[in-house]
Amino acid sequence: MSKNFGILDLIRRNRTPLENHLIDGLVDGRVSRRDFVRHGSLLGLSLPLLGRIGMAAGLGGMPSLARAQGAPGATIRVASSVPAATIDPVTIADAGGLLVMQQVAEFLCVDGPDLVLQPALAESWKPNDNGTVWTFKLRKGVKFHSGGEMKADDVVASIDRLADPANSSNALSVFTGILQKGASKKVDDYTVEFHLDAPNGNFPYMLSSDNYNAVIIPASYKGDYEKSFDGTGPFRIEKYTAKVGASFIRNEDYWGPKALPERTEFTFFTDMQPQILALQGGQVDIINQMPVLAGVALLNDPNVDIISLKSSAHQQLHMRCDEGPLKDARVRRAIALCLDRDKLAAGLMKGRSALGNDSPFAAVYPSTDTSVPQRKQDIAQAKQLMEAAGLGQGFKITLTTERYLEIPEYAQLIQNWVKEIGVQLDLNILDQSGYYGDAVFGKSNWLDSVMGITDYGHRGVPNVYLAAPLKSEGTWNAAHFKNKDYDALATSYIAALDLEAQKADAGKIQKLLLEETPVIFGYFYDYLTATAKGVAGVQPTAMSQLFLDKASKA
Amino acid sequence: MVFLGGQALPGNVGRAILGPFADQRAVDTLNHTLGVDRPLLAQYWSWISNFVQGDMGTSYIFRAPVAPFVIDALGNSMKLAAVAFVLVVPIGILGGVVAALNLNRPLDRIISLGGLSVTVLPEFVTGIILILIFGVWLRWLPISAAWPRDAGFFTQLYYLILPSLPLFLVLFGYIARMARSGMIEALDSDYTRTAVLKGLPWRTVIWRHVLRNALLPTITVIATQTGYLIGGLVVIETLFRYQGIGSLIFTAARGKDFPMLESGILTIGIVYAVATLVADFLYSVLNPRIRLGSDQ
Repeated sequence: MSKNFGILDLIRRNRTPLENHLIDGLVDGRVSRRDFVRHGSLLGLSLPLLGRIGMAAGLGGMPSLARAQGAPGATIRVASSVPAATIDPVTIADAGGLLVMQQVAEFLCVDGPDLVLQPALAESWKPNDNGTVWTFKLRKGVKFHSGGEMKADDVVASIDRLADPANSSNALSVFTGILQKGASKKVDDYTVEFHLDAPNGNFPYMLSSDNYNAVIIPASYKGDYEKSFDGTGPFRIEKYTAKVGASFIRNEDYWGPKALPERTEFTFFTDMQPQILALQGGQVDIINQMPVLAGVALLNDPNVDIISLKSSAHQQLHMRCDEGPLKDARVRRAIALCLDRDKLAAGLMKGRSALGNDSPFAAVYPSTDTSVPQRKQDIAQAKQLMEAAGLGQGFKITLTTERYLEIPEYAQLIQNWVKEIGVQLDLNILDQSGYYGDAVFGKSNWLDSVMGITDYGHRGVPNVYLAAPLKSEGTWNAAHFKNKDYDALATSYIAALDLEAQKADAGKIQKLLLEETPVIFGYFYDYLTATAKGVAGVQPTAMSQLFLDKASKA
Repeated sequence: MVFLGGQALPGNVGRAILGPFADQRAVDTLNHTLGVDRPLLAQYWSWISNFVQGDMGTSYIFRAPVAPFVIDALGNSMKLAAVAFVLVVPIGILGGVVAALNLNRPLDRIISLGGLSVTVLPEFVTGIILILIFGVWLRWLPISAAWPRDAGFFTQLYYLILPSLPLFLVLFGYIARMARSGMIEALDSDYTRTAVLKGLPWRTVIWRHVLRNALLPTITVIATQTGYLIGGLVVIETLFRYQGIGSLIFTAARGKDFPMLESGILTIGIVYAVATLVADFLYSVLNPRIRLGSDQ
């Protein structure tokens, strides 16, 4: 298809230099269409506009997001994990509770399954020149289930509540160093400005479903969410029984297209096996989140469909850079070279994962520099590195980790692989509370162990992974990795607004981390949702949210 | 003891609620709001002084009164225990009696060996097999024990059949074996021989002389199992998604939800005590020698 420069010029006229730079990247072929859509959505360009630009650049329209609409009126039954605590948007942290909250409450924007930001309660957003102020335009005519209209005051209050250190906010770790209490300002009833502590090119993700606490609820909220379950979503609460289940009914006053299902029912489970049996026995239609090992029985079940989302969720294998034999980067590299990553992806993860290259830059991120060579198993080189470090005879060390998902099996595989270079790995596998302890240095097996494996959930942008576990002062820096060059690169990446600038920083970070290897990123696993045959229109995200407004049953 | 044991577990309530990745300031604020940053004795005193006045306190995790959770869970546990009890006690005793009356014959072997074999299978194994057969393949019985809202007595009973079957299998062999050995001993005793020689009909001998004596040890066993049936079914409750008191205590311990944990454990303690009392009472009814207030 040929390029239509006339239309491109017309579109370019009203755009910022940053947006035009991205458009140029697409036209010149420096930016792929997929990356263009993702980054364009981050800068606040609407999907139809991105589609028009794609057409004009001769790349064809965007893939249609519309699906064949199923029959309305179904009752969709979902199996999910039991909410671990009271459901309160400020404190909530567990997948089961978040899922319930997200059925009724909405975000300013949604980090979709393809990591493209989609507008929800905000219609559009824009950064200033250096990314220190982001302005969000709110959708008009959105009503809370309790009756009032959602306006800027509600947005400011909702976000301020999360940024306030006096509020037990679970989102405080996301906002620290980025957005302070009082930095969200109302411009008018439908416009809010966020004044950041430092430039941030990925800030809209922090107000999206990616920051799962950031739902918009009335400014008058007093901390008793389970009494009202107020929100703006396509479903409203019917009944919630702690530890048992929840049901929702269609919200007839919804601002968008009305939900197809008449009702949804959520049944809480404390374990995976009963969820699988319930799906097989026809008592539920959907298992929201199914870890690959626990769900092997369903992967090839002809009565079940698996929705597989590429995600950035992973298990970090940290190695203490400040003490013991792992202090030497050559030893850390040697251990990383022992892993047979292809076998991990194909065997342990049943083909439902992508290879990791010992940095947080998963293949799903548009900013990942894919030209950096993939680390592969190389025992000969690993042995050479051990010799060079004066540890040719090997050594003995303990790997401490948690009993969660496939981590114990992963630890055993590593234990076998490192034997080849003379490293004797003793495994210390604890339950999760024993592993995390108080989650502060000095009182946590996670942060104090010489070597450990920790689970990290999906994030739409790598900012969190780049900062807390890897920066010198990072609060989750279990590897005790302190590197000024890295700190500067991570800060520069986080501030960059432009995709190509992000990519340039990413490449440097990837190379630096391959050299230093404070953390092994072996694989990034897919987020799996299982549905019974005939159930359609289900839209999960890798943050364990589940959008059911277009769901139907045959 | 439970309180001190709970404190020895790693982590704290705020951390358990907010997760490992929450900011420490948020955790500290939450711990302060919940009052768990107070000295241990102060926490214990405020809970126990309320408990003796009938107030079980407020759950840290659910920020709601503990009593409704414990009462609901206890009610559920007792329903499941009752169904399992009604199934296993008569059938178990009958099995033991039949085995003893057919001592060393094939029927005795089948009951003794079969009962023992299923008893040693853990509930999560028999539970999954039963779910696969009756829930997934035949689809005769619901997989989950949680009945729909507003379900009547028979619906609830229908939902409880499948989860009570693994309990039946665990306890059947045990009870049958106790009944069998009690029967064998009683059949072999002097009083039975006297009763037979006295010319009493066989049926009367069994009912009035043998069974009455043979069942005494069985009752003790059944009483000790009542506590297990009510408070010890974490595995069954998890597998069948049933909100019993076992899983209530288990999740409370994991979340360091002390008021919930302590109230749950005290409640189970009371159930144990009551079950033992009832057993003692039954014992005295069946055994005139230890009847209270009677002469030697």
